[in-house]
Amino acid sequence: MPKCTINGQEVEVKAGATIMDAFYQLGMKEKIAHYCYHPSLSIAGVCRLCMVEIEGNPRLQIACNTVVTEGMKVDNNSAKVNEAVKWGMDFHLINHPLDCPICDQAGECGLQDQYMAYGKYEPEMAERKVKKRKVVDLGPRVVLDSERCVLCSRCVRFTEEVTKTNELGIFNRGDRSEIGTFEDRPLDNHYSVNTVDICPVGALTSKDFRFRQRVWLLKNAESICTGCSTGCNVNVFFNKEGVFRLKPLYNEKVNGYWMCDTGRDTYKPINRDARLLDARLSFGGDKAQAKVEYMIPLMGAKKAAEWVREAKAANNAKSVALVLTGQYSSEEYESIVSTFKADVGTDQIFHWVNNPESFESFDGLLFRGDRNPNTKGLLQTLQKHGVMDNTWKDLVAGLESGTIQTLVVAGPLDFSVFPDLQEKLALFAKAKRLVWLSSGKSELVDASSITTVQIPMRTHVEKHGTYVNHSGIAQSVKPALSVVAKAMTLSEVADVIAGRNVKREEASSPIGKRAQNEFTTQRGAL
Amino acid sequence: MSLVHRQRAKDKWYLPGIFSGMGLTFRKMVKNLFNREQMPTLNYPEQKFDYSPRFKGNHVLTVKKDGSLRCTACMLCATNCPAECIRITAAEHEDPTVEKYPIAYEIDILRCVFCGFCEEACPVDAIRMGPEWQTPGVNGSEFVYDIRHLAFRPQLKGGIVSVVDEQERHKAGI
Repeated sequence: MPKCTINGQEVEVKAGATIMDAFYQLGMKEKIAHYCYHPSLSIAGVCRLCMVEIEGNPRLQIACNTVVTEGMKVDNNSAKVNEAVKWGMDFHLINHPLDCPICDQAGECGLQDQYMAYGKYEPEMAERKVKKRKVVDLGPRVVLDSERCVLCSRCVRFTEEVTKTNELGIFNRGDRSEIGTFEDRPLDNHYSVNTVDICPVGALTSKDFRFRQRVWLLKNAESICTGCSTGCNVNVFFNKEGVFRLKPLYNEKVNGYWMCDTGRDTYKPINRDARLLDARLSFGGDKAQAKVEYMIPLMGAKKAAEWVREAKAANNAKSVALVLTGQYSSEEYESIVSTFKADVGTDQIFHWVNNPESFESFDGLLFRGDRNPNTKGLLQTLQKHGVMDNTWKDLVAGLESGTIQTLVVAGPLDFSVFPDLQEKLALFAKAKRLVWLSSGKSELVDASSITTVQIPMRTHVEKHGTYVNHSGIAQSVKPALSVVAKAMTLSEVADVIAGRNVKREEASSPIGKRAQNEFTTQRGAL
Repeated sequence: MSLVHRQRAKDKWYLPGIFSGMGLTFRKMVKNLFNREQMPTLNYPEQKFDYSPRFKGNHVLTVKKDGSLRCTACMLCATNCPAECIRITAAEHEDPTVEKYPIAYEIDILRCVFCGFCEEACPVDAIRMGPEWQTPGVNGSEFVYDIRHLAFRPQLKGGIVSVVDEQERHKAGI
């Protein structure tokens, strides 16, 4: 275990660790400029910006590729280092276009940050900039601007080492070298947007996020991805208009530095235009269009409670059944299952498996066939309450024989992962009354042929909750923003059904606080 | 704050007050009759006051030489705006050298405080504060200026050309 001193601070690192690892071990409290180094990729040493001065060594060395030796004294604040980084920077910017106003990376750009920290020089390059290709359609999700590229080769190493698909490469020589794909074949692997994340400049931009918002107008909050049972840690970027993008957060045990492209789309069902805004009571049959009542979610839940009470009053609690999907948090499962067991008095609780054929599949990196964030948590709750033995066949039999008349379905938050929705709704239509709990609006549910009350639910970014991933790691999330403020959680619906007082969970968001200043958000009617 | 009101002769008596007041009125009338240039009032709306060229009035979006909008939708003006009255929707331009342009640029002029931070923030001289200050309108929607008004209203006679030209910058190798 060699010890070294970084800017006067002593660090003990693992044998064979580089100086850069020592900087990372210090939590980047001591800043060091670097583009090509990425902690989970191999070392390339091409950007030459992580220069450090080592005592006893007449020349500056790069921190990413120099192994720490015992008693090494490293300094990256000296005038010599700053000078070297400054003029190294100048070489990087020789052919870099002045695109900051239209570049999506502006605001989180390595070049901008490091120019402000180390650069601030008058450019001494008299030659014209070399023009390269702009707006190259690299694949279904990524756009390349080769002028902006500083050739750090992070993306090339990513496709080589992480996805092992080898789409990207560096072509040509000298100042004409540029990244690209061979014969412009598409960069279409399932992890392609990670190249956008690791790009230190704006050379690779995400098609989905491109030009939609400037990054400094977004706030971020930590959450998890609900796209599959891996539960990757993500940063949710949002403002008052909704969520704009997800970026992976480092978690060694769950996802490392990466997340898949499917997971990037899981912000879409959170946004307002995909959401159910009010409780909706429809009476089915031919009158479906004619007679629809909209009410606040709490009233919708009270309607559901009334139906359950009617069933109980008729001494027929077993005619109420609960169908759960793996899309909610463990606390909510606990609350609703115990309510149904104890207060309603039914053990008709079923697990809706959305894609049984591909449920166990795994792509070898992160993406799993189980497209629910909390199947494990649901199974744990069901086991705890001893209702594991109920099979889907029991539900089908119960519905067909007419013993199940009122159905409470904790439906999907993301309809796209429920390909069997239509088929299952046809099955649920065999009951008399349907309570449909879901955050999203769906025309299929609206067209339900039986008396249906739809109650809007909160999504995972709007509530506290614990999600257990495929390997049993429980991850808690906090509310980040409020999209549909009136929406309820499963626990609140359970409270209403059981007749308890509802404890509303207030979504605290920085935007909520700001909205109180009505001078900036609301102007009176003219 | 307390005001001490002293009773003077012209406040105390009727006629001295009247004569001193009318005296002032007649003095100004005679002065204005013989020296009309320095008269501080003017016959609005036939006559209008000439503000200095630095006056910050209603916004103008400048155009390129080909008549398209100069704005690159970088949103620096919207970021800098203390009144948050600028709303821009960016889109992808078919020309890769332009890349980004606004499909909607709206200024809510009733929220604007005319501070001029937007034109200070603009990197490409796309927005300027013009000389106009008369902003009539009969309902609220007429005070939300869109691109058509900001860049191509009749008073601008086809648009003001920006001093920053992209083609020239490309030729200069910037």
